[in-house]
Amino acid sequence: MQNDLSYENVTMRFEGRSGAVQALERFDFQVNSSEFLVIVGPSGCGKSTLLHLTAGLYKPPTGRILLGGTEIKEPGPDKAIVFQNFSLFPWKTVHDNIDFGLRINGIPATEREEQIKRVIHLIGLEGFENHYPRQLSGGMQQRVAIARSFVLKPRTLLMDEPFAALDAQNRQIMQEELVRIWQTQRPTVLFITHSVEEAVFLADRVIVMTRRPGRVKEVIDIAQIAGENHWRSDPFDEVIRRADFQDMRSRIWGLVKSEISVRN
Amino acid sequence: MNGAARNNGLARALLGAISVGSVLAAWWLVTSLELVKPLILPPPVDVWTGFLDIWHGYLNVPFWNHFLASISVMLGGYAMAIAVGVPLGIFMAWNRVADWVFGPLLQILRPIPPPAWIPLAILWFGIGYAGKIFIVFVAAAVPCILNSYLAIKQTPPELLNSARSLGAKPHTLLFEVAIPSGLPTIMTGLRIALGIAWASIVAAELVVSLAGFGFLIMNGYRNLESNIVFVGMAAVALLGLLMNVLFVHIERALLPWREDQDNG
Amino acid sequence: MADGSAEARASRLSVEAAPEGATLGSRIEALPNAVRVSVMLLFWLAVWYGVVELFNVSKDFLPNPIDVLTRIVRLAWEPVGAGALLTHAWASIVRLMWGFAAAILIGVPLGLAMAYYRPLQWIIAPLFELFRYIPPIAWAPFAMFWFGAGSAAQAYVIFTSSFAPILINTFRGVQLVDSRLIDAARTLGAKSWTILFEVALPAALPHVVTGLRIGLATGWMALIAAEIVAGTGSRDGLGYLILQGQQQLHADLTIGAMVLIGILGSLIDVGIRTAERRFAYWRE
Repeated sequence: MQNDLSYENVTMRFEGRSGAVQALERFDFQVNSSEFLVIVGPSGCGKSTLLHLTAGLYKPPTGRILLGGTEIKEPGPDKAIVFQNFSLFPWKTVHDNIDFGLRINGIPATEREEQIKRVIHLIGLEGFENHYPRQLSGGMQQRVAIARSFVLKPRTLLMDEPFAALDAQNRQIMQEELVRIWQTQRPTVLFITHSVEEAVFLADRVIVMTRRPGRVKEVIDIAQIAGENHWRSDPFDEVIRRADFQDMRSRIWGLVKSEISVRN
Repeated sequence: MNGAARNNGLARALLGAISVGSVLAAWWLVTSLELVKPLILPPPVDVWTGFLDIWHGYLNVPFWNHFLASISVMLGGYAMAIAVGVPLGIFMAWNRVADWVFGPLLQILRPIPPPAWIPLAILWFGIGYAGKIFIVFVAAAVPCILNSYLAIKQTPPELLNSARSLGAKPHTLLFEVAIPSGLPTIMTGLRIALGIAWASIVAAELVVSLAGFGFLIMNGYRNLESNIVFVGMAAVALLGLLMNVLFVHIERALLPWREDQDNG
Repeated sequence: MADGSAEARASRLSVEAAPEGATLGSRIEALPNAVRVSVMLLFWLAVWYGVVELFNVSKDFLPNPIDVLTRIVRLAWEPVGAGALLTHAWASIVRLMWGFAAAILIGVPLGLAMAYYRPLQWIIAPLFELFRYIPPIAWAPFAMFWFGAGSAAQAYVIFTSSFAPILINTFRGVQLVDSRLIDAARTLGAKSWTILFEVALPAALPHVVTGLRIGLATGWMALIAAEIVAGTGSRDGLGYLILQGQQQLHADLTIGAMVLIGILGSLIDVGIRTAERRFAYWRE
């Protein structure tokens, strides 16, 4: 029970050019330890904001977020976040990118080398240690981004549409890779996506958010349908053909669509 | 396609050569037919003798002294501009109080063109080197400050947030993330500042000087020696070009991870 | 220079996860830009005044801001050399306009032609590169050989300075026109001239106007440089005023003229930026 996330009455506002924007309003939710939670919702509904708040990058003016019972007050490696792009340091090699987090957290040099080797093996990029990010494909870059966070053994992993910039094939590969990598440590995952298929494939539960200001519209339990051995461990192409998968997909898409229909 | 490309390259080089060649030929023709006074356009022969003259010691001052005078003063002012301008720009971008305090001052001083400072510099420092170093400093500092400011301000937020999430403190964020990220833009600022510094020292020397290329040009003008003026201008252009090429090479060596390098 | 947008706020470079709160910092930040800037300017003027008075700085070296202000005001009716402020400002602007106009009349059509006809580009470009590294002010002596030590020579220096950015930006502007736009026009049956005037030119216009703005800025700098280098040769202009101040050891005139040049230069820049926005209204 140590890596559960608790959202209590969370609100967030931004000052925009044309007045204040209410991104989140009275957001209440509980995420279970080691759960893979996916959030979907229309653009601008505040899902990204929610992630940034969970990472401790801002502090909500009212309400609070608790990780394992303790309030989140500042960012740190226990609440790792992976963005869609621009995460990696372009001037550092793959090796040095992963080394960065270990080094600033005081891990001694020899142990750092071991950890880097281990995690590079985990993501399958042996031989690329001395490459610069620009020399890697999008999928490979995201692997490094995940590795950089993963090597610090985060309690929760926050992912902001991490595969949205990849083409369809690489996206599929990365989804399966993410599952494999995640299984080795099982942090609590908060995953944002616009792709309903991706959501249904990966999630234990899916939250559908309302349009701005964001609130929980509905929670869908995928795990109970996905089976004893969750279908995310199976190849995507097989899973996507299942009738129960498609039912879930339609249902969730209908919910999201109803939030989009009126305004943009 | 390759053959066509090669033909294109050949045609291009040919036309270029013909173009420059015809200008040179016209120059020779017009002057040997004495269609214009040598004052308006010095004949190539005169230019050559003028060059030899300067090389061996125009007015009993060896060429090296002029070269040293211009270059050393320029480098002095340039180095000061970098030493003051880059840290200031970075500081203003990182710390909003610094921005509030120095920003308006910069906005007021910036529209004053570098040449406008020359008489004031003479008033304050006399006609010696100190005044010229001051002028180069004032001229070159502006692009240094501006570009360093932009470099830091334009740091991708995901880069900073990723680092924060890995546990980086503000000190690390500035020195290990923002500054390396902004280095390309800062280098561009330095390159622009170099060009401005060179033009400024020449301008200052045209107004008042005892040595240097501006002095050579101005002296040639006063003695109605258009060939000397010509050589002076050509030397200034050539040195400007060489410095720029040198800088680009240094830039490339310092930033091996840039996208626009044709690397692996 | 402070950026007040939500994004800048949200990703706050100065890094705490800032609470939405009533700290002194956020209160100052909430003030409109104009207020903050004005207060700071008054502060710096006070510093200037303080330094001059406290260290008993000589008036010939650095007059206090009040003296400079009064000198500027006096300039409005008290002639220096050829006339009062208006005479000089007008003289400078006229020179600028001549040089700038020449740069546009030659630079824009040439840039267009070079972008349209590849061979022309290959002919002109090497020549351009040859002359590019000559600082505009270095042309002054030859300009004075050709035109005498008067306004024409200075206009030529301005022309040299404005020409490069105008040519380059016009050329690039046309070159970067999306070839699909041209192809679309061609499939609709448009002839060469139509394509040029109704597709290429409008599409390239934002770039061209940017070139004009940069050309005006560099021309302004060249103007001042030329007026100062011309020394006793020129008898009017804002640069002449700066020089006069130095030669008569009237620092208040020099600094006053510098301030006026700065203000005038800013106004011109603001003016052309507004025009630039008007012309680029269909771009983001």
